[in-house]
Amino acid sequence: MAALVAANLRRHSRDRTGLFFMVVMPFVSILFVGMAFGGASSSRLPVGVVAAGSDAVTAALLTELRAHPDLEVRPMSAADDVRSGVRSGSLAAGLIIAPGAVRLDLVVTQANGSGLAARGAVDGAVAKVAAVQEATRAAMAAGATAERAAGYVRQAQAESGRVGVTGTATGSGGDPRGFAYTAPANLLLFTFINSMAVAAALVESRRLGMLQRALTAPVRRRSVLLGEAVSRLLVALAQAALIVVVSALVFGVSWGDPVGVAAVVGVFALVATGAAILTGTLLRSPDQAPAIGPPLGVVLGMLGGCLWPRESSPEVLNALGHLFPHAWGMDALLRLAEPGTGLGAVLPQLGVLAAMAALLLFTSLVLFSRRTPA
Amino acid sequence: MAAMTAALSCLGLGKRYGDLVAVDDVGLSIAGGQAYGLLGPNGAGKTTTISMLVGLLRPDAGTVLVGGVDLAREPLRAKARIGYVPQEIALYPELTGRENLRFFGRLFGLPRRGLAARIAEVLDLIGLTDRADGKLGAYSGGMKRRVNIGAALLHRPQVLILDEPTVGVDPQSRKAILDGLEHLVADGMALLYTSHYMEEVERVCDRVAIIDHGRIVADGTRRELVSLVGGADTVELVLDGDVGAAFEKLRAVEGVSEAARTGDTSVRLLADGGRYLLPSLITAVEGHATVTATQVVEPDLEATFLHLTGTTLRD
Repeated sequence: MAALVAANLRRHSRDRTGLFFMVVMPFVSILFVGMAFGGASSSRLPVGVVAAGSDAVTAALLTELRAHPDLEVRPMSAADDVRSGVRSGSLAAGLIIAPGAVRLDLVVTQANGSGLAARGAVDGAVAKVAAVQEATRAAMAAGATAERAAGYVRQAQAESGRVGVTGTATGSGGDPRGFAYTAPANLLLFTFINSMAVAAALVESRRLGMLQRALTAPVRRRSVLLGEAVSRLLVALAQAALIVVVSALVFGVSWGDPVGVAAVVGVFALVATGAAILTGTLLRSPDQAPAIGPPLGVVLGMLGGCLWPRESSPEVLNALGHLFPHAWGMDALLRLAEPGTGLGAVLPQLGVLAAMAALLLFTSLVLFSRRTPA
Repeated sequence: MAAMTAALSCLGLGKRYGDLVAVDDVGLSIAGGQAYGLLGPNGAGKTTTISMLVGLLRPDAGTVLVGGVDLAREPLRAKARIGYVPQEIALYPELTGRENLRFFGRLFGLPRRGLAARIAEVLDLIGLTDRADGKLGAYSGGMKRRVNIGAALLHRPQVLILDEPTVGVDPQSRKAILDGLEHLVADGMALLYTSHYMEEVERVCDRVAIIDHGRIVADGTRRELVSLVGGADTVELVLDGDVGAAFEKLRAVEGVSEAARTGDTSVRLLADGGRYLLPSLITAVEGHATVTATQVVEPDLEATFLHLTGTTLRD
């Protein structure tokens, strides 16, 4: 069995195009799609701000916005400039603060990932300022002077500083944008697509008569089948591990609980392996596998939210996506990326994926075994 | 050549697919150092028989013994003694010749230690030491065929089973392959050989079975099979000296059924076992003439095959 695995892996390592798709493409995709959906983590979302007044609320809000790690505040003079900036895409969002008003005008376009992300960040900042205002008002209502009330709130803010920072991190983690979204999306997408492409090698093995010949060796039948399955699984796992490690090191993606991520990725790799063996068993010519596998992987990826955020696709599509493994994988990986979550938080998704893996692997191995004469 | 000691034997082997009887009551026995040919028209059951002999196909009836080990009862032990060369080139084109051999060596459970040396031996045997590290996909048809055979030799099997091993091979590689096989047989390996090329079977095999419609219709040495058609050898002699007197002497030699002068110096005789008659023919003309050239044209397997199956091998 080890011999089969070694030979298969060596075969894959000789396939230059395959290697390119495994090693280079996922990162190109993560990079470009990640930038399209909200820029590299070093570049901030430009937010145009029109602040006419200089009252305390406006000042506090500006300070809060400037302090936000994801936002780049661009002071502007006219509301129309902000609107046209947002429309043309040079601004992710715009905020118009009328002096002394309790209402703020937020300008965003709906169907835009960076707009959504900017809105989340602005909402967070506004909520914090509002909370300070509310706390100050409460302190004054309780009989404190304006100065004393401000002092209390500053004190409270300082004490809860740590919580505040965590809150900010949660804010951007709960609304994943940029690489935090595209890295898991591409992990699932490419693990699956490349597994499907690898199915070609399986069809080739059958066509060449390698499997039949292997069965004439003093080796048990199930060892041969297992060897083929393990080879594909290792390819899928290697692909996933590569994306996790490189995206964490190069793009600074935080994947969350390693045990949970390993479990989700492992089960997803099993699903991909099952699908690959099934494809490899059903197809007759090795040329069919690259023709059918990757397009199928792309479609399933689309449904599962691997190509664009699911927030921007209709409910029906998302419901449909949950018939396939990608959507469950995305759910689980995004959940894990939130701080404080672990293996326990993704058990339902893991269960669904495990069931899918079991079904696919069982069906494919039975079919595979039946189609290999013996 | 009892079944117990034969390198490979089978008895009452049968396989049917629904109503179609693919193989029916096939029995054969091959001793070490013996080359056994299996001839049959397409669809006669050759490949089905071989598939059962190498353990790829479970027979409906009958037993296969490899070196006395029952293939059905102890498949792993039995299979370890067989080297099977399939009709197709079952090798990984992405890997080099050496890597392909290593794969099969490991598959057959050869220990890592000593495997490299054994691979080098086999590469030498198949004459590919120089090209061992080139990708298999870039090899010529003949080279691929040789690696295909080499892959079955690594584990030093007692029996080598070859299914059409020379299809699509240039004459030079074909000769190298046949020479190699003859060496292996001379060294004591048992050989089961199927081919479309009658002359290969005639050259390599000392015993031949003809299979048709799933049954062995004839089995024996080449000569035994040929004598089934009842033909005698044609012996052509070229003489120097008193050809007329020599001709009369030749005609009187026992076993010569017919004699004719075909030219001033040439004579054609029809004789049973003409090849073995040659010494007495040469002695017979002593004092009258000397034999300067001989040719024995035997009725060949092709004729026997045609006679028994009603088809030629290559249709």
